[in-house]
Amino acid sequence: MAATIAGVFQPEVQNLIKESKVLLVGAGGIGCEVLKNLVLIGFSELDVIDMDTIEVSNLNRQFLFSKESVGKAKSHVAKNSVLKFNPNVNITSHLGDIMDTKYDMPFFNKFKLVINALDNKKARSHVNRMCLSCKIPLIESGTMGYNGQVEFIKKGVSMCYECNPRSEPKTYPMCTIRNTPKEAIHCIIWAKFLFNQLFGEIDEEVSMDERNDESEILSARNWAIQNDYNPKKLFKKIFYDDITYLLNMEHLYAGKNIKPVLLDESLLDQEHIRYSHVPDSEMLTLEQNISMFWDCITPIKEKWEKSTNKCLVWDKDDDLMMNFVVSCSNLRSAIFNIPFKTHFDIKSMAGNIIPAIATANAMIAGQIVIHALRILRGKFEKCQNVFLRSMPNHKGGVLVKDKCIQPPNPKCNVCSSDGEIILISDLNNFTLRQLEELVLKKKLNMVAPDVTMIDRVIISSDEDDELNMYDKTLAEVGMKHGSIFIAEDDIQNYKVRIMVHDKEKSGKEENVFEIINNTNDFHTANEHTNLPNPYENIENDEDDCVIEKAASPAGGTACDNNRDTRGEVNHVMVGKEDFVYIEVIEGVAEDIGIDEKTTEKISNEEVDAEEISNEEVDAEEISNEEVDAEEISKEEVDAEEIGNEEVDAEEIGNEEVDAEEISNEEVDAEEISNEEILAIKRKADEAVEDINDAKKSRID
Amino acid sequence: MASEVVKNGDDGMSKDERNVYDRQIRLWGYDGQNKLRATKVLLIGMQGLGAEIAKNLILSGVHSITLKDHTEVSILDRCSQFLIPRDSQERNRAKASLSAAQKLNPNVKVIVDTTPIEENVDNFVSSFDVVIATECSPNTYRRLSEHCRKANVKIFIADVYGLFGYFYQDVIFTHSLYGEVFSNNVQIDTVTQTKKMPQLYYLTSALLKFQSDSNRKPNPDTSEEDIEELKSIIHLQINYSSPEQENAEVDVFEEHYGELFCELSPTTSIIGAMVAQTALNTVMNKPIGNYNVFFYDHIEHEGKFHLL
Ligand SMILES: [Zn+2]
Repeated sequence: MAATIAGVFQPEVQNLIKESKVLLVGAGGIGCEVLKNLVLIGFSELDVIDMDTIEVSNLNRQFLFSKESVGKAKSHVAKNSVLKFNPNVNITSHLGDIMDTKYDMPFFNKFKLVINALDNKKARSHVNRMCLSCKIPLIESGTMGYNGQVEFIKKGVSMCYECNPRSEPKTYPMCTIRNTPKEAIHCIIWAKFLFNQLFGEIDEEVSMDERNDESEILSARNWAIQNDYNPKKLFKKIFYDDITYLLNMEHLYAGKNIKPVLLDESLLDQEHIRYSHVPDSEMLTLEQNISMFWDCITPIKEKWEKSTNKCLVWDKDDDLMMNFVVSCSNLRSAIFNIPFKTHFDIKSMAGNIIPAIATANAMIAGQIVIHALRILRGKFEKCQNVFLRSMPNHKGGVLVKDKCIQPPNPKCNVCSSDGEIILISDLNNFTLRQLEELVLKKKLNMVAPDVTMIDRVIISSDEDDELNMYDKTLAEVGMKHGSIFIAEDDIQNYKVRIMVHDKEKSGKEENVFEIINNTNDFHTANEHTNLPNPYENIENDEDDCVIEKAASPAGGTACDNNRDTRGEVNHVMVGKEDFVYIEVIEGVAEDIGIDEKTTEKISNEEVDAEEISNEEVDAEEISNEEVDAEEISKEEVDAEEIGNEEVDAEEIGNEEVDAEEISNEEVDAEEISNEEILAIKRKADEAVEDINDAKKSRID
Repeated sequence: MASEVVKNGDDGMSKDERNVYDRQIRLWGYDGQNKLRATKVLLIGMQGLGAEIAKNLILSGVHSITLKDHTEVSILDRCSQFLIPRDSQERNRAKASLSAAQKLNPNVKVIVDTTPIEENVDNFVSSFDVVIATECSPNTYRRLSEHCRKANVKIFIADVYGLFGYFYQDVIFTHSLYGEVFSNNVQIDTVTQTKKMPQLYYLTSALLKFQSDSNRKPNPDTSEEDIEELKSIIHLQINYSSPEQENAEVDVFEEHYGELFCELSPTTSIIGAMVAQTALNTVMNKPIGNYNVFFYDHIEHEGKFHLL
């Protein structure tokens, strides 16, 4: 181990390495690499925690695991693997959730440094708060495909994880999913819905069709049970009868260019067509999809009957469940004249699988340990955020850094005491239970919140306090428009002021609450709009969705179709998003959102002042080329929109205009769906070559 | 080249392989994965950097990798060689690494070769698609570069010195040979050298010069003398190439000197991954063709490609 060999490091550094206790949160893709690096360099006191077990799809990068270890706890196996090349290190491995209350402040206080190698925003936020309150330096990291980043977080020195809002996952209006799908992703989400309707947790509030007359409603589940899950009958009901019903509701498609077309009746009695020989990267025919649908229903039903509580959870790694979603989404696509997708692509989208490779993790893990050495020596100014690019920028940079440490956001509601949150909801309908579960725990990532209103406790994390007020509404406990309350989490030592804005719930609207993170943003938002209802403009904040974001397309919701024909905003209700939004955490070990923050940060990369002026000229020309490149790529990308994105980028003073960033921009672009990301990324990587050449020739 | 011939009429992956490679196939597609599955790699040098490169290539699922090293395991390997178990009885580095390397991915053929590269440079390289060399003498690098150019074999030459690391690549066969970039002259020839060289080029040249002179890399046992030696080489180089600046840049590497010993894990991790990914991209027809040298600056923590 490097630190035990005299002369490798200066004695001061040598001692710091040997004596500093480090906590590594996550033993996945980045975690395995970091653990190896820490042990090799000579850290001797390490704690590693992970709640996951090893899966086959981890093995292409999580090199401390092998086939024999599949199913075992990552943290324990990782520890045992590194002990083989260095038995002289004291590693404590924890199989558990870092958000568990047993990992409290005294636990965190044992460490000189914490390293996050996590896969979800919730746990990242939690560790962020723990480290801020313990004043322990934190290294935050993530990778996605070829890209990655390392961030240094220390209270009062640098931006915290929550200083800038991280983008949320894309949401899809219910009406689009139910009635007017335009892209394959809409059909895939619908297919996952359908699965839940038939086999999942019954959810009365989300209905799959437009029938509002209660007496007529016979849920898909009950219908299926009455017909004994007969595959052919189900097929006819779902893909013929229900579509006929939709077509009879004239207002649905009046004036729109989307309209379902019934499949040919002859398909109802078609013969079984073989499909198992088709590779998952090739398209199935309509007839093959029908056969696949027929084949999967009965075995899934049998599984469902044997399951506890008769409830199946959709799983992308279950072949039958995957076949259900593939066939249903393609059949629906056929009806709505949307091109089919392959099994491979549908799995990516339905499972929201984030590509991951060993090399990106290794580079990020290397940089993490370089940062760790600087941090232990107190050289914080050397710990700018570092970004790993998939391709060199015009100066050849692949590992690039911010120009300087990003200072904390004084309005941050986590690391600054001046932060304030605005909660918009219908005070007469919003209960304290909803406040605790949806707002404080799910949205604000608290673990055990306490809520106080002018010295009166209304929610307590102490079980002995039997307040029994959960069913009371905010109005009933005395909150009015403009009231302020304090939400506190003792475990995280996190306290935030929340101001309430009353907004009466209108008819069909499904949003339960919205959150504005910063007072200033709220006021500016209002100034910029003359709409009679000041809250309408807030939609972009996407607070109807509280799922952690990994790398979904994100950005705003603003689907142009978010109003149905009656002009009512009809977003999916809070709390139901598990069915609507793609699960982004599952099976992902090391993700980041390539989100606004990333894009913005890249613009802070060190800029050679001399080159900027040339660069701006180049960038303009190059942007045209890139638009061309995208057009050639035949993706459904609005070229004009990309152009605009780039103009924005230039205005920010972003020198790094190249295809890689365009793909980031696209990830954020509202109109571009999840499904296209992978393809676009691949195309963009190809395009970057040409662009680099073009740049090069100009620069030379 | 081998990858064009090795098809076996069967490029279908087993279901097991597909499941293991799922997350990367979603990045570079089945086409990319099949190209990797036909790629034969020669990896010379199995110290820490070699171990990293081997790990990344074996995980990616190349056809085969030959680990070539004739040297013995040393205590300094403990700084970064994670493929050698502490209780290994094998003295040879490649042999000692074999079992852990093979365990990373049973689908890849891992072969050990303990003959010194100097003994079979000439015809040996042509049976591989990619050659990656580490821990050789500068002279051997020059020979390898020439032979690979003649044989149209892509070559990467990489080394890590403490926390500093670099690599050279010749993948589109149009840029300078290794010996043309890193010549063995004490003074960097300012007449032919019209380009402004990146600072780390001087550090690299000095390290290579040190290696040629002393027949070893700088060593932690003799760290102080070695640093002095390096300083004087750099002093000579820089004064010669930009005489007008006199001493101005002598201390540019002051912070670097203290961290140039052994192969240290953060940088073997970074350089090993950068070399491996660049090699994989090349195999998948996406070479980073505009550049031929990559430096990782551990003080500035920046990794950049250059065309030298
Ligand atoms: Zn903050």
